[in-house]
Amino acid sequence: MWTDHSREINRRMLLRGSGFGIGAFALAHLLRQDGLVAAEPTKPGENLPLDLRPRPPLLAPKATAMISMFMHGGPSHVDLLDPKPELTRHHGTEYGGEVVYSFVNRASKKLLGSPWKFTKHGASGIELSELLPGIAGIADDICVIRSMHTGHNGHEVSIRYFHGGIPAITGRPTLGSWVVYALGSESQELPAYMVLTDPGGPPVDGANNWSSGFMPPLYQGTVLRPKEPRILNLDPPPQLRGDLQAQNLAFLGHLNQLHLDRHPGEADLEARIRSYELAAAMQTAAKEALDVSGEPQYIRRMYGLDEDHTREYGTRCLIARRLVERGVRFVQLFLGGQPWDNHNSIKSGLPDICRRTDRPAAALVKDLKQRGLLETTLVHWGGEIGRLPVSEGKLDDSAGRDHNGQGFSIWMAGGGIRGGMTFGATDEVGHKAVDHVVTPNDFQATVLHLLGLDHERLAYHANGRAQRLTDGRPARIVREILEAPSVA
Amino acid sequence: MGADMSMFRRLVVLLVVLGGSGRGWAGDRPTYERDVRPIFKAYCFGCHGAGEKLEGGLDLRLRRFAVRGGESGTAIEPGAPSTSFLLQRIREGEMPPGEKKVPPNLVESIERWIATGATTLRQEPESLPPGIEITPEERAFWAFQPIRRLAPPFFGASDRVRTPIDGFLLARLRERGLSFAPEADRTTLIRRASADLTGLPPSREEMEAFLADDSPDAYEQMVDRLLASPRYGERWARHWLDVAGYADSDGNGNDDTTRPYAYKYRDYVIRAINRDMPLDRFLIEQMAGDELVPRPWKNLSAEQVEILAATGFLRTAVDGTSTGASDEALAANQVVADTLQIVGSTFLGLTVGCARCHDHRYDPIPQSDYYRLRAIFEPALDPQHWRRPVQRLVSLATDADRARSAQIETEAQRLQKVLDEKTQKLVAAALEKELKKFPEGPRERLRQALRTPPDRRPAEQKALLDANPSVLISPGTLYQYDPAAAEELKKDSAAIAARRAQKPIEDFVSVLDEGAGALPVTHVLHRGDHRQPTRAVAPGDLTIAAPEGSRFEIPNDDPSLPTSGRRLAYARHLTSGHHPLVGRVLANRIWLHHFGRGLVETPGDLGALGRRPSHPELLDWLADELVRRGWSLKQMHRLIMTSTVYRQSSRRDPARGDTDIGESLYARFPIRRFDAESLRDRMLAVSGRLDRQMFGPPVPVSEDDVGHVLPTGRPTRRSIYLQVRRSRPVSFLDAFDSPMMTVNCEQRTLSTSAPQALMLMNGDFVRDQAGAMADRVIALVPGGPEESRWPRWIAQSWDLAYGRSISAKERELARSFVSRQLAALGPNGKPGETHRAVLTNLCQQLLSSNEFLYVD
Repeated sequence: MWTDHSREINRRMLLRGSGFGIGAFALAHLLRQDGLVAAEPTKPGENLPLDLRPRPPLLAPKATAMISMFMHGGPSHVDLLDPKPELTRHHGTEYGGEVVYSFVNRASKKLLGSPWKFTKHGASGIELSELLPGIAGIADDICVIRSMHTGHNGHEVSIRYFHGGIPAITGRPTLGSWVVYALGSESQELPAYMVLTDPGGPPVDGANNWSSGFMPPLYQGTVLRPKEPRILNLDPPPQLRGDLQAQNLAFLGHLNQLHLDRHPGEADLEARIRSYELAAAMQTAAKEALDVSGEPQYIRRMYGLDEDHTREYGTRCLIARRLVERGVRFVQLFLGGQPWDNHNSIKSGLPDICRRTDRPAAALVKDLKQRGLLETTLVHWGGEIGRLPVSEGKLDDSAGRDHNGQGFSIWMAGGGIRGGMTFGATDEVGHKAVDHVVTPNDFQATVLHLLGLDHERLAYHANGRAQRLTDGRPARIVREILEAPSVA
Repeated sequence: MGADMSMFRRLVVLLVVLGGSGRGWAGDRPTYERDVRPIFKAYCFGCHGAGEKLEGGLDLRLRRFAVRGGESGTAIEPGAPSTSFLLQRIREGEMPPGEKKVPPNLVESIERWIATGATTLRQEPESLPPGIEITPEERAFWAFQPIRRLAPPFFGASDRVRTPIDGFLLARLRERGLSFAPEADRTTLIRRASADLTGLPPSREEMEAFLADDSPDAYEQMVDRLLASPRYGERWARHWLDVAGYADSDGNGNDDTTRPYAYKYRDYVIRAINRDMPLDRFLIEQMAGDELVPRPWKNLSAEQVEILAATGFLRTAVDGTSTGASDEALAANQVVADTLQIVGSTFLGLTVGCARCHDHRYDPIPQSDYYRLRAIFEPALDPQHWRRPVQRLVSLATDADRARSAQIETEAQRLQKVLDEKTQKLVAAALEKELKKFPEGPRERLRQALRTPPDRRPAEQKALLDANPSVLISPGTLYQYDPAAAEELKKDSAAIAARRAQKPIEDFVSVLDEGAGALPVTHVLHRGDHRQPTRAVAPGDLTIAAPEGSRFEIPNDDPSLPTSGRRLAYARHLTSGHHPLVGRVLANRIWLHHFGRGLVETPGDLGALGRRPSHPELLDWLADELVRRGWSLKQMHRLIMTSTVYRQSSRRDPARGDTDIGESLYARFPIRRFDAESLRDRMLAVSGRLDRQMFGPPVPVSEDDVGHVLPTGRPTRRSIYLQVRRSRPVSFLDAFDSPMMTVNCEQRTLSTSAPQALMLMNGDFVRDQAGAMADRVIALVPGGPEESRWPRWIAQSWDLAYGRSISAKERELARSFVSRQLAALGPNGKPGETHRAVLTNLCQQLLSSNEFLYVD
């Protein structure tokens, strides 16, 4: 009876709860009579039902899931995604514009031209750096936004802007929390919002990156551990393998049923009984979802599982695809610390992190596409800031680049994003976004729109007011990068 | 997604509430004060009334002002909505600017008000001072009224009314044709009372004593015994530490520096509660203990240290400055804001933090009031002269300690000198012996070379020594020449180290106190931005917390005290017995922890957006009773726990029309899951492994290879003694909803999730406790072959886990489980181990079962 996962139970299961290690995953909670819980708040100032039942969005969605590859530290856009021939031409000369530095001790105004070549790729001819051969291969599927702007050079300030909607402020739900709060989960056996962390340690700003802020922990990102076992307590201890655990659970079920008979009508007691059934199901489902060993050789090679420098990130990208395939709503990948923060020796540092991530990131898009999942899966690749066109330190191999929140690039793909285009522009040396500036709030409004949500209407009541991801700040849906509506 | 709808409903509720008794708003002619001003306050006052500058010259704080209008002319024309400019601008979406628009239904309210002549309830004044005044409607809100003690409704003896509490509740139940559920059985009662007061199951002796006691006050005596237990303070301190936001680390990003002395505040709370320190005193010490201990803080008595440790309450907030923050001013201001939030939710039950950037949108808390509160704390939490956590430690070394240290050091140095001389002699002796191995000529040359200081040795001497390294004897190489001598020196050296180790260890207490120097001037911060101070404000309580015109103001500096005296004055004011919020907030929390639900279901927010009290008369009566009973928490427990409502059964009875309404009116006792700490402690208690040592530094936690965060050292102490590392919550506690102290925790959530089930099914902690419990059962039922002991083992397991005897049905179930498990494990392996393994599995299921996880 414990592995028999009946449809009836699933249908009636409300999802709530917390607690997968640091994050809260929230599986099934609570059985109430069907119909008692409406899809809309029924009391004044109340929120959407605090559960994870799947809910249709307000508008017809383009995307039903999102994978975000967050690139902590500030990838150097002028070396990767935003070619600047003028910068190269003026390499070594004094920059005339005003620059705000974070690290004044090594600051200079000498322009540092990119040491890497840019060439056109795909039918669309997007110019990309030689450091990104993998991404060059999916040029026609991605939209490069070259006019990102946070206005703040600090890491945390901008990271929190991207995740929580307001620069510098912690304690707010992250993008993934808003998405699962609004849409619930398609999977009854897996967490709705999953975070894949790096074996190199937590990203800068730690758990703030996947916090549910003032929302209940139900909407926190569930952190998958960077190594096996990726979920704790998933495996029965060796002494319980085989029949023994099934016998244990059957016995426990009987005890709980006798107890319930003495306390009829207690929803929480019933929900607890269901939670064991679900946990038993998860032992199989989550294991299966996280196990990439059965993937065919060509897929493993595609993600770089056959090479040391790509194996780790490639495995996580592959897991991300498997999770979305199984109904997980929001997956975010992080890197340890901030490997894109190339203050020193960018010439050697940047190729390293590109080598680790380029092929797996491209493979993810290709793989989603060949499975027909790219249409409904929004993919994001980007950091919180970019880097300055001027050199930090001497103009030699030790040269690096300081922070730049005035202008930088990200790319998006799938889920209603028009592929094969670039959008917006920075000035001629790549310092400031000057054309069609896109802020993190614009990005958020656009993401929510593609998921069928309205950033002005999606609200959560906390701390005495209706809160929104963009918090009433100016935000626009960047319609120019959306796929043209298909002709019916 | 319905957000606007719910905003609307929320406002409608507000409007109804503000409308006063017996008048629905829809049927009557709308008025400015009741129907329109709340809308303007939420949507318009930010630019048109609250600030010093009025956008477009338009002020909407009075109907009179609205008619007068601004630069664009009149804003409303009474009786003519279609030509009222304000209404047009709102309808066109021009106003308010930004994304937050007035929902259509509220626009209609404004329209109806204008159409019906734009009337007011009262004659309006000609002018208003700047800022948003508090209106009579806002003043009329329940939480701001003086606490009123009404006589409890009267009932006869047959109504099972034991206490005034029962009278209040029964009156409401009767309105619905309901009454109390039957009394719970005795086993349930002692289980419930023990869980409530100690967080642990009753011991077998406690259980037997209570069940056998047939005196009429057996129950009351049982409650008193529990209240006298040291375990009681450990349990109720947990509730207090939740709302205080207690943690053993600073929460400064990935560093998350530990707070090695924070535990003294935790211990203070446990001791105070065990001693039944009156809550007024408890509050005063936490808010202003530093102002009660005369300076200089030298040779402090244990009692004085306790009072200083009490101020740990104001040091619980996350402190991003502990290892230096990239923007220290920002981080320091955040500490002040978080501390105010903790004070606000703990004592005032209001979301005062909402008034940090602008006037509170829903409660009558102007922004200036927020900074008035801040001024109370700023002499001690002054971002302009910020002190990082390490700069707030007060040394507990006494003069005697220091003298003793100095004495030991002198003695150690004397011993060291003796040792040095002895060493030199022994080295010299060894050298002499070594030199004897050389013929006389070289021996003398070597001797000479060694006598010459190394830097003055001529080349031939150096060459000579290089060629004969065996004569280069040092204390470090002595052991190769004279092992016995070396050993002796080692012992002497160890003795000196041991002597030094006897110096008293310098201990510290973390204190919130005022810095030296001039008192800071507190400014209202424009939009809460510390870089934009505006006008100065003086310390004082919230305006709304006192009758009109009598706001509690605090002198800038109390000349009779070496400190400013601000916090002390405020703490005394809060505990005067007349504060409308403090008594209600405390009484509500006490109730909450007995019934799992407050009389106000939002214990941290008694304001407009919080819930209304389900039993306002009872809440007020309890708040008043608390003061009358000398602020004694233990007396409040006695009062509540001896009531009929507390002693009811939790069983639903469909025959009594038992519905959710009945539950919300306390027609039965609610069933609740134990919180995380109780669950862990109870498992340890049942397994027999609970380490009852009290107090002291926290049990450190660390992450194992697999990623579980576990206590180390003495891992089976009660959960309250485990280190609360913000970045590293103990896995078991975390899974069962122990709070993440980002600020503080006003109320636990009790979730039900599959990861909890996985933790109980597969987690090491539960498996270990089940194993220990099995060993305990085996030890309790010795003798005879295993097969014959099973019935008694099973019965004993039931007894330990549930504190009751096993039923026939359960016995049958357990028996068949055991035989199936024995069969599955087969004849292989040692029989004793097989039986223990099966018993472990049985115990694990009991510890994971609902009867163990829930209190009824």
